[in-house]
This record gives sequence, structure tokens and C-alpha cells, in this order.
Amino acid sequence: MEKKRPIKVLVAKPGLDGHDRGAKVVALGLRDEGMEVIYSGLRQTPEKIVQTAIQEDVDVIGLSCLSGAHNRLFPEITSRLKEKKMENVMVIAGGHIPEKDIAFLRENGISAVFGHGTPVKSIAEYIRQNIAFNL
Amino acid sequence: MSDSGKIKEKRKLWEEKVLDPALKRFRLDKSPSGFYTPADIEGFDFIRKVGFPGEYPFTAGIYPTLPYAVVGTKGSLPSAKGLVRAARYSGYGTPEDTRDYYKMMQSQGLRGGPNLAMDLPTQCGYDSDNPMVRGEVGKVGVSIDTLRDFEVIYESYTGSLDLDKIASNFTINAPSNMIIAFYAALAEKRGIPMDKLRATPQNDILKEFVARGTYIFPPRHSMRMFRDSAVFFARHMPNVNITSIGGYHIREAGATRNQDLAFSMAIGAAYLEEGVRAGLDIDSFAPKFTFNAFGGSMELFKEVALQRAARRMWARILKERFNARDPRSMLIRQPMGAHIGCSSTTLQRPLNNLTRGVIGGIASALSGSPPMAFPPYDEPLGLGWSLEASQLSEDAGRIIQYEARLTDVVDPLAGSYYIEHLTDQIEEEAWKELEKIENMGGAVAAIENGYMQRKVAMSAHERQKRIESGEELVVGVNCFTDESELEVLTGRLIPHPYDEAKREQAEEQQIASLTGLKRSRDNRLVADLLRELKLKAGKEEENLIPIFIECAKAYVSEQEMCDVLREVFGEYKEEAAF
Amino acid sequence: MGRLLEGSEIALAKLITLVENNPAGMTGVMPMIQHRLGKAFCIGLTGPPGAGKSSLASQVIKALRSAGAKVGVIAVDPTSPFTGGALLGDRVRMQDHYLDPGVFIRSMATRGSLGGLARATKDVIKLMDVFGFDYVLVETVGVGQTELDIMQTTDITVVVLVPEGGDGVQAMKAGLMEIGDIFVINKSDRPGADSMAVQLQGVLQMNPRYASAMPPVMLTQGTDGKGVAELVEAVRARQAILGDTDLEERRREKRNLEFEEILKWAVVEEWKGLAGSDEKLKDRLSEVVEGSKDPYTMLREIFPYGCIRPLTD
Repeated sequence: MEKKRPIKVLVAKPGLDGHDRGAKVVALGLRDEGMEVIYSGLRQTPEKIVQTAIQEDVDVIGLSCLSGAHNRLFPEITSRLKEKKMENVMVIAGGHIPEKDIAFLRENGISAVFGHGTPVKSIAEYIRQNIAFNL
Repeated sequence: MSDSGKIKEKRKLWEEKVLDPALKRFRLDKSPSGFYTPADIEGFDFIRKVGFPGEYPFTAGIYPTLPYAVVGTKGSLPSAKGLVRAARYSGYGTPEDTRDYYKMMQSQGLRGGPNLAMDLPTQCGYDSDNPMVRGEVGKVGVSIDTLRDFEVIYESYTGSLDLDKIASNFTINAPSNMIIAFYAALAEKRGIPMDKLRATPQNDILKEFVARGTYIFPPRHSMRMFRDSAVFFARHMPNVNITSIGGYHIREAGATRNQDLAFSMAIGAAYLEEGVRAGLDIDSFAPKFTFNAFGGSMELFKEVALQRAARRMWARILKERFNARDPRSMLIRQPMGAHIGCSSTTLQRPLNNLTRGVIGGIASALSGSPPMAFPPYDEPLGLGWSLEASQLSEDAGRIIQYEARLTDVVDPLAGSYYIEHLTDQIEEEAWKELEKIENMGGAVAAIENGYMQRKVAMSAHERQKRIESGEELVVGVNCFTDESELEVLTGRLIPHPYDEAKREQAEEQQIASLTGLKRSRDNRLVADLLRELKLKAGKEEENLIPIFIECAKAYVSEQEMCDVLREVFGEYKEEAAF
Repeated sequence: MGRLLEGSEIALAKLITLVENNPAGMTGVMPMIQHRLGKAFCIGLTGPPGAGKSSLASQVIKALRSAGAKVGVIAVDPTSPFTGGALLGDRVRMQDHYLDPGVFIRSMATRGSLGGLARATKDVIKLMDVFGFDYVLVETVGVGQTELDIMQTTDITVVVLVPEGGDGVQAMKAGLMEIGDIFVINKSDRPGADSMAVQLQGVLQMNPRYASAMPPVMLTQGTDGKGVAELVEAVRARQAILGDTDLEERRREKRNLEFEEILKWAVVEEWKGLAGSDEKLKDRLSEVVEGSKDPYTMLREIFPYGCIRPLTD
């Protein structure tokens, strides 16, 4: 019998990009939406992010990158998750992601990309509606 | 009764007899618009609060006149070489790519030295062959590993553009002293003495802990690096600016206007103290401080007032706290005045960003700076600025200056009851916050204990909440978004002249160059120098820049130097994120 | 379960989620692990916010790891009573250990009261114990009720304080002064650390709990690890002094407390189930809710024979 429980989210900053305003605003906003949020800190390698996701058994990983390295870093994270048989973890992303890269990222396991100016409420709504377990 | 008393009395009457009935008629609880009178700046003393342009306390401006503001001289038309200004902050891919880009821009008339953007591995002290940085090499700027890379970038800077004739800008913080060492080593190899070099490294490490995040060493050790630069530049590189302090970055990371001002003042004061503690006379090095920018919002009046408050506050800090005597020590020298900041731009209906930029340009003109409609409207699209957007941004500034003639008067809003009131208020609140930080032990302590970082994150969160609740309005984002509104798309865009394909290949090529170089250099000399560096780093009083220059000449890489320091200093670990 | 014992981190993580979300989950798990419990030594780290507990924890992990011990970490952060959300931020300061296979870090939110923290934490400690960690480190903010929880949960409690002008003494007055087996003044490079240590010793001397033996008062710097070797040494010394007998004695008390807690939780859960489905009970309850009847009388009326009737033979 699964009880109603908070959704657990890892907000992570892969790569060297230090622009963490978006990541922190999303982390704080999702907390206000009733989620349990883990913030990874800066300069995380894909390996570290996946390791954290495993130990914390999160439902969602939110990735933020503004350095243009997303096409390299994000798929590495999703493929590592696959390797560990954790594909059921939802991976969403934000940052400086040009429109033209979104299709590629979606093909590579990123469920959704949220651009500049997305309200945190809509991110929370998306998570609730698309999460793998029943609340 | 004093004037102010009379006005207050009159105001009370006006509110009762005129304002309140009007509010009732419009069914308003309170007036959405304010009105300011001399009573709001009671005791206003022009000489003390504003003064003449170019004179203490520099509220009106740091120069007696606006030298760029010449408009319509008979027989000579203003011209600037196309997109020169937009092209300045650049650098991408390999050093070869960046060299070729500058060559191309030079063929189109670019003069003056480069303003080099560097990639994140360079900014964080990693070489391009480090597996940790895969995917980042050459991305947000050019990749610099060793002196070789500077030799390549500056290939076309010879003759009338040689290093003693141009000024270079380096957006570099944590490894700033190594990058300057590369520059000095390059000059030495060309037979140019380092006292002839002109450059501005950003070298504002403290704000990196609060925003941007390109730190390497813990704050105290970072301050030692800063001390080395202050002392070394003051004595040996008189034409190299020591730092370019950036409140703007802190603001963009989410800080409020007051935090922007107070934190950058606290950081600036910490740098000044470091120099004084190292035995420098305040007037021997303070004039070599520059500022990157303050501010960044759409609130035009408040942004103008912020610029005025910042000029006055810095001057007071220098004069009152550091006993500076040379007026040049007290100036906020910065390339850009009031502006809207990149975070005011929206992805929705992006052409609106042009309008926003123009408002920023007007604000900068009114705040006493060259009008810059920054940033180009396609900033939030994440593709690099297109040439059209850059052209329009440039033109907006020109229109503001040459057609609207907003630069005809220095500090045109001086004396406005509202602006003077705002200036006082912003400065007063910043002093309060500064005092709080000083009580904590200064900027370094307030970073070590995570105070500034937490404050900025909370402010960003608060602003997001205000936008989501509709308390703060952003056109096309949280209002005026229904079906009757038209989605305006931008038309044809000439992409930025960076060659995307090159950017993609940069990593492989740069790794290959570095690998080749590491094989061919005198590796025994490298090992000896790194040992010497370690020894010197262990001695707190040692200035490390001379040994960095020796290392640079022997093609020691940036990461090799940083790794030695990581061993001695340790690495910064992020403090309390929230 | 088998995968847990084989050392699968994913299995451990999933089991933690299970016991965190639904205590009934332990009913199936416990019989399988009960006989394997008791190998791990559990260290509690508590103190006021901003005392640098996470950074200190990171240094302690480093010291324990360099001696070859495997370490499980539970970092507890408060749940917002208004939104039910939580920001679990302690992990950031333990980044050095993210990729170390001998370290497993799990963040937990307090998720409301009623022994919630203590119960789930205890269960997670057990899972980590069975997984094969030599030490389990529990880090919590020590304000209000939680510090008693932690004392009843761990084998040894380290109270972390920080010299903060006059506030240091203020912290001493809070409930933290009676629960520590070891006291640490962290950030000891700050002015006032030494005098605070002296003051602290004075305060502890007057406390009857420490009449027979004074707890050590130590100075540390979580940022660079100064004093951490000594702290770990002191933990080991306490571990040795406690020995098997004393430790067992402590644990016996704790098991008793734990049983009472689980009992309380089970009774309340059962009551909620009943009151949710039985219309008559709902009506009776509304009398209490509306304030027309006092809760004691109501309790007697609903449960004239006592709330539980245990199976005793």
C-alpha cells in the first residue's frame, strides 16, 4: 500500500557552468510546491549526478546548464541512468537550450525542456502529471 | 515656519481636498502614483550631495564632461566601424578560431585590442585535456591552456596593433594572475617590457563565490592571489588595471538593487584593504580599480539613482575610510551605466527586448554613461547575438545620443526631488547592509559563511514568486498573453560570425595541440618550476606572479600551475546553498 | 532484500524509500534483518543551524574512511509545516564523497511530527547497518524536540556548537547541554573559541548528568579538518569505553523506547482507519473536534477497556 508521499527531486548543475540562479529558484519553488528537493551544488559530473540520484532514490532529476555543453552532458546522464536500470526516473532540463536542440534532447531521454521565464508552478504541474508513480 | 513645514502642511491639505476625492471617483484605495516635493529631500545640500561633474562626491559624474557626447560638428559625421563594439567581447573555439575571427574583424575595420571571453575550463583552472571538462572546451569562450595559445591569438596583433599599442581585456578571475603571466611572457618574447602593457583582467574573485561560480581556491587564498596582483601591477605594470568589479553579475544572479550595491561595495572595500595591508599607499593602486557594471532592471528611475548612489558611496568609502587624497582613487570607472540586464529580457515575443533595451539605453544616458541599449534583443534565444540584433542595439544607442540628444547634459535628473530622494534612499540602505557585512568581518567572512550566497538565492526566489503571483508584471510572460495577442516572430537572422562547425571541432583540436606541446617542451624545466612554485606558494608573503611568468615562458599549462596551488591552498567547497 | 545483503546500493536506496513512506514496509523487512543488526556504530551529530555540521560531517567521513571503515550518512532537514516540501541541502557539503563506494549519503526530510523523524531514521540506520556500514552518521539540526530524538536514536551524540559572539552562550542554554557525549566547538579559528570552551566546561560541570564523568569538549574546523582526527579518536574512545556491555545496555533502553514509539504510531494509524470508516465514531469524534466534549472523557467512553488489549499468552 503506497501512501501519499512527497515527490523527491534532484536539482543538478552538470558541467562547469556556475550560473545557478535558475537551479536555485526552481529548487526553492518546487519545495514551496510541496516537493522534497535535493540540490547537487555546482560542477557535477554526470557520474556524480547519477550516483546522487541512486542514493537518494529520487523521482525526478532537473538539470540546468547555460554553457552550451548540454548536448554532451545531458545524454550522458540519461544513458548512465539506463545502464543502472533507472530509466523510470524522469529527467527534465532548463537553462540556455536553443530551440533546435530540444528534439535531440528529447530523443535522448529528456522528458521536457523548460525555457527562460517558465513559471515554477508549470514545472511542478508537469512533474505531477507525468510522474511514474501514483500519488 | 520652514519651507519644508509649509510644504508638508500644504501636502496634507492637498491630499484631503484634492487627492482623496479623486481616488474616490476612480474607486482606488490608494494612489498608484506618487508625487515628490522638496520636503522629501529635506536639508538637501547641492554641493555636499551632488557637486559638480568630475568633483567629489562625483554623484553627477566622474568626469567634468561627457567626452563621447559630441553631436553634429559641422563637416564631420560620426562613424563607428559597424559592429565593432559588439565584436569586442569575443573569443570561441580554439585559439586558431579566435585568431581567424579577429583577423576577419580587423579586415572590416576593428581596431584596438581584444576583449577575450574564455571557456569554462580556462576560467576554472582546467586544461582542455582534462576528462572532467569534456563538452566545455571552446564553448563560452576561447580555450587557453598555455602561452602557445596566446601566441596564436595575438598573431595578427603586430605593428601598429602590437601589445604596447593596444589594450586587452580578459574575463578571467580565479586564474587571473596566470593569464596575466601569459600576456607578460608573450610581451617579453616580443621584446616589449611589461610596464608598457595595457590590460584589464576582470580579477574580481569574490563575486564569483556569489555569482557565476568560477572559483577555484578558498576565499582567503583567493585574496592572496588578489593581493599579489594589486602589489605587482602597482609596481611593475602601471598600465594594467587591477580589477573590474562586477555588481552586475551579483544582480543577475538574483540580488536586489540594494544587495547589488552593498555587496559590490563590500567586495571593493575588501580588495582595497588587502592592498593597504600589503603596504601599498591607497592612492598608488585605487585609481587602477575599475567596475564592470552595476544594476540591471527595467525600473529606469531607480537604476539611474543607483548609478548616482554608487558613485557617491564609492567616493565616500575611499575618502572617509581609506583616507584617499587623489580624486582618481574615488572614481567608479565602468564601461556601462544603467541598463536593464540580461535577466529582464524574455523568450516570449523576443522583439520586445529591443524596446526593453532602448529603455536601458535611455537610462544609461540619463545616468551619465554612453547610451547602450544592452543586450541585443535575441539574448534569451541562446544562440549568440545575430548581426541584426547587434546592429539595432548599436543604432538604438546612436539614436538616443544623436537624434534624441539625451547626452547633451550631464546628470540631467539632478535636483529632481524624486531622483535625489531615491539616490539618498538607495545609498542609505546600502550603507546599512554594508555595515552588517562589516560586522560579520567583511566581504570575505560574509562569503565564507554563505551569507551573500543565501541572500542572493532568496532574493531570486522572492522575485520569481512575485512574477508568478502577478505582483510584478512582465509583458508577454505573465500578462497580455491571451489569444488576442499576436506572437511576433523575428525575421531573417544573420547568425553571429562564429563558425558553429569549428566550435564543435574545437575540443579535439585543442587537446591535440596541448598534447603535442606537452611532448615537445622541456619537461624537466617544467617539473623544476612547478616544484619552485609549490615552495613559494607555501610562503604566505611570497608574490607568485614572477614565478607564474617563468612558468608561462616554459609553457607550463594553466592547470599545472593551478594544481600545485590546489595542493597548497585547497579547493573551495560550496557553502550553504540556501 | 537479497540484493540489499549483496550490497546493491539501488536496493538499499529503494528500501529506505519504502520505510520512509510507509512504516508498514518494515514489517516484511525486519524479520529478515533482525539477527544481523548491531554491527554498525551510530554517531549522532547535532547542533544549532549554521554550526557547520555538514562540513564537519564530511571531515569525519574522510577520517573514518582513511581508516578503512565504511560509512553511511543520514542528513536530516526540516519539512515545511505549510507546504510539506523540504530543501535537502546538507549533501552539497559532502561532495568529496559522492563517488566513494564506501560512503552512502541519504537526505531525509522530517515529514511532520509524531516521532516521524525518529522512527524512519531508526529504520534507515538498521538498513544501513545490515548493508554493512561500520559507522552510520546521523546529522540533524538541534532545535526543539529533535535533539532528544537523536539521543534516543544513536549510540553516541556529538553536539556541535560555534563561537558566535554572545550567541554561543545562548546556545548552551538550549536543550543541547544534556544530550551530548562529546561537545565540539566548530569554526574554532573564530575569536572566542577558547573562552567558549572554558565557559562550556563550566556549564557542563554543573549538570548532574555528567557528575561521574565529564564529556570531552573539543575544538574543530570543519573547513580544513583541524581537530577532526582528535574528534574521531574521542568517538572511538567513547566507543571503547561503552564496550559491548554498556553499549548493549544503552541499546536495550533504546529498543524499549522504539517499541513504544512504534506502538503509538500503530495505535494512531489504527484509530485513523477506524474513525475514517465508522460513521458512529466519526460523530463521536466531532464532539471532541467541536469542543463540546473533553478528550479525556471521550477516550474513556470510546475505550472503556483501554486502548489496546494485548495478546499475552
